[in-house]
Amino acid sequence: MKHTEYVYLTPMPVRIWHWLNAFGIVTLCVTGINIRFPDVLNIFGTYKAAIELHNTAGIVVSISYILWLFYYMFVAGTLAKLYIPTFNDIKSGIFRQAFFYFFKYFKGQPNPHHGTPDNKFNPMQKAAYLVIMLVLLPLVIFSGIILMYVAPLREVIMIIGGIKTLVSAHYLIACCFCAFLFVHIYLATLGHTPLAYFKPMWDGWEEVEHADPHADPHSH
Amino acid sequence: MKKILAWKLAVLVTALTMLAVTVSSAEDTGNDKCLSCHSNKDIIKKSGERLYLDPAMFAVTSHAAIGCNTCHDSVTANHPTDGFKPSKASCKECHSSVQSEYAASIHGGKAACNDCHNPHEVKSLVAVSGDDINAKCAKCHNLGKIVKSHDKWLPQADLHIDALPCVTCHTSSKNYVITMSIQKRQAGNTSYGDFKPAKHDELVALNPINGDVSRLIDKNGDRLISLKELRDFNFEVRKKDMRLWGMMMPEVATHSFQILENRWDCSFCHASGPKAMQKSFMAFPDTSGGYSRVEVESGAILDILYGTPDFYMMGSTRSTALNIIGAMIIAGGMMMPIVHGSFRFLTRRNRKEH
Repeated sequence: MKHTEYVYLTPMPVRIWHWLNAFGIVTLCVTGINIRFPDVLNIFGTYKAAIELHNTAGIVVSISYILWLFYYMFVAGTLAKLYIPTFNDIKSGIFRQAFFYFFKYFKGQPNPHHGTPDNKFNPMQKAAYLVIMLVLLPLVIFSGIILMYVAPLREVIMIIGGIKTLVSAHYLIACCFCAFLFVHIYLATLGHTPLAYFKPMWDGWEEVEHADPHADPHSH
Repeated sequence: MKKILAWKLAVLVTALTMLAVTVSSAEDTGNDKCLSCHSNKDIIKKSGERLYLDPAMFAVTSHAAIGCNTCHDSVTANHPTDGFKPSKASCKECHSSVQSEYAASIHGGKAACNDCHNPHEVKSLVAVSGDDINAKCAKCHNLGKIVKSHDKWLPQADLHIDALPCVTCHTSSKNYVITMSIQKRQAGNTSYGDFKPAKHDELVALNPINGDVSRLIDKNGDRLISLKELRDFNFEVRKKDMRLWGMMMPEVATHSFQILENRWDCSFCHASGPKAMQKSFMAFPDTSGGYSRVEVESGAILDILYGTPDFYMMGSTRSTALNIIGAMIIAGGMMMPIVHGSFRFLTRRNRKEH
């Protein structure tokens, strides 16, 4: 017999960060396209408006990233646990999860991973978020901040290898974020209902269907 | 009879000789005589700096070609002991259209021609660097104040003022070109902004082919700089504290100083697209303190990454190769919903049964 339980998966600070970040990244992608291809796309009235909006969104994302990092490192203290894949994750977890997404899912078999507050990401998510949150996002923030102050930070730009190298890195990482958006939003619809994974990111609670109501110690 | 013929011949020879002398004196502008004193630095001590002129700088001016006497026509044979101060021609005697255009501009009442142009050093627009132009403006306009006033509306005003001669925005030219120059880090100084255009002798020290500084980049000497030549040069000079720096220069100089409405709009420069400003030049310093420019392969400066890594103009300079790679990354992301979504739709019954 099925029983629906509610797990408090996403604490409020994380939810606030997520939506602030999501809104910021989408704004950055759209204004970014406007800035790089002004002759093709001009939707913010003036070029300067696109730049100012891009810079503002960049600062919002940077500050929210710092708060996110601070929260996970010092308040929740779960950064390593949640985001760094374990040896088993790398050895078999990632493949098991990929096998589920690209094969078992189509056959209607269950997801091998069940999110808990202490282990909310599956091994594929862990690996992807590790790269995104601890490599790509810091890099895109770093390059973006330098690009906002080109003249005073000329020496840093020279060390990096020139402004074109910096712009290229910023642009390619931004493309990765844009690609990630499509994958992320799509995968979020793979719950037991299309909106099942959106709900915990909105109100914190995830609905989990269990055959045995006492199976999960974290259930409420 | 023979005597008359001899006389006629003598007159003819004399006339021809006089004609030859007249022609040669027309070619010889007589500058040497003036320069023997006025290019000697002793004159500075005796009579002040305004009477000294740099012979190398003067030699390449169009004013040198017309000769000192054309403008200073009252100089007597007894100069300078005649006690008479020679006259100077006014600029508008020859440059009347420029003068009237300038007089009508907002700058007209602020400075006279020779406040900006030294007639003994004046060069054409292609022979001066953007830094030279801005140095003239900086004689009156304090750089810090300029940056501050532009900062009120212009993002990264310091960067813009570093990459644009003032006249690019404050006079009207129909076309603009990117002119690159070789900059050298000033010795003993490592803070930003200490790159200055490399001087002729600094480039000669790099041992160019045949001593011609343009051959530092234009290795094959075909007077066209290719992508490869630009890239090779860049790899070489980065180790030597040099870099290629570009400025957006007007193609035609005008004296219609004004605050142009369309320059408030960033898209005037930045949204002109990669098709604009494809024509670019590399400016090489010469011994006279001026520059001679060599054309660069179309699109090279705007498009290529390693050729000019320090020159980037948002919106106008973008690498096509990178655009394609970026599009492929995004398309890769889109594949997930498209491909997986299609299979998901086709296998939806399996999940209902489960």
